[in-house]
Amino acid sequence: LRVAESAPAPAGGAPPRKILLATAGAAVVAAIILFIAVLPAEYGIDPLGTGRLLGLTDLAGGSGSAIKRQDTAYKTNTATFEIGPYEFVEFKYRLEQGASMIYSWTATGPVIYDFHSEPDGAPAGYAESFDKAQMPEAHGTYTAPFSGIHGWFWENPGSKLVTITLTTAGFYTTAQEFRDNDSSFHSLDDIRR
Amino acid sequence: MIRAAVRILFALVGTLAVCTPVIAHPMTGSNATFVQSIQGPAVAPFMYLGAKHMVTGYDHLLFLVGVIFFLYRLKDVVLYVSLFTIGHSITLLAGVLGGIQANAYLVDAVIGASVAYKAFENLGGFERVLHVRPNTKLAVLVFGLFHGFGLATKLQEFTLSSNGLVTNIVSFNVGVEIGQMLALTAVLILLTSWRARSSFMNYAFVTNTLLMTAGFVLAGYQLAGYVVARG
Repeated sequence: LRVAESAPAPAGGAPPRKILLATAGAAVVAAIILFIAVLPAEYGIDPLGTGRLLGLTDLAGGSGSAIKRQDTAYKTNTATFEIGPYEFVEFKYRLEQGASMIYSWTATGPVIYDFHSEPDGAPAGYAESFDKAQMPEAHGTYTAPFSGIHGWFWENPGSKLVTITLTTAGFYTTAQEFRDNDSSFHSLDDIRR
Repeated sequence: MIRAAVRILFALVGTLAVCTPVIAHPMTGSNATFVQSIQGPAVAPFMYLGAKHMVTGYDHLLFLVGVIFFLYRLKDVVLYVSLFTIGHSITLLAGVLGGIQANAYLVDAVIGASVAYKAFENLGGFERVLHVRPNTKLAVLVFGLFHGFGLATKLQEFTLSSNGLVTNIVSFNVGVEIGQMLALTAVLILLTSWRARSSFMNYAFVTNTLLMTAGFVLAGYQLAGYVVARG
């Protein structure tokens, strides 16, 4: 360690005015940082609207807590699909960003599936794929990364008829089945009946 | 080259201290799960957690940077750091073993304020603006007590098994000191090499102003948390 003869005056002995200005400046900058970034990101307090503008308020609710409250009760749905040889079916739920569902499905034979989602406003045919495999069943949880329709594409690669039974519960609002040039809405079960 | 590197490093540290989205500094994830599952004495894990908490604890580190910023003699560094160590060891042990529950937000707000206090002192604010000379040694000791309460409240967030509690708290405390030694060594090396250059005096004022800003942000962040938690 370099040893000095004696410690010099702190910060070179700045004039009082300069010290006061620095202190006031530090307080102002700290307040700006707090109100623009820290409070929105940590607590969702957003008096200037900067948190929403910068997307910081999302941090406050999402990653910080294990609970994500919803305004409505969840719905449940059970659906069966018969898929002929080499045919396919698609079934999608409407979920808003951050909404979750749990699912289980089983098939009477192996099927090729692709869980994918179409964001609202995306060009026709655009989809983001999350889980692809060839299996006779799958179970899991899904939290929508964006608002849109989210669900499965199942294809029967064999020569025998396959029946799929799907059961879900989640904060979705609609369910739609798609087949060759054909689509229909399924009714959902309200748990508050 | 070295000079430029040191300057850049300090600029980065300053920027980081000010701009990093300030997150609370609790133990999280697998560490937290582990701490709660421990039954009986576990010296190494608690020492590791203590050291990790100190090395990654920017609130404690910023305060130490402020404390040793103008300490040129190794003797003084040892003296002041010892005072800080005595202070935080007392309250860490007393807090956890005596079950003294302090509000984590308020304690962390005081810790943030301690950073701003030390920076203000380094700027010469007490002498030149307020015309008082608060005892610097006493201040470090007292703030050390608050930092120890901060450490204690972090540990008290978990349901610690009473089996081996004393061993584990002492291990945690020893880990804190090891982490503090490691962090201090790094800070001292940087400060010492910086002091040899003229830029040190030129930027000492700015650096302490940034330090004070960081202290205000930390204090404000924790005070807001206190208000939100009381709801």
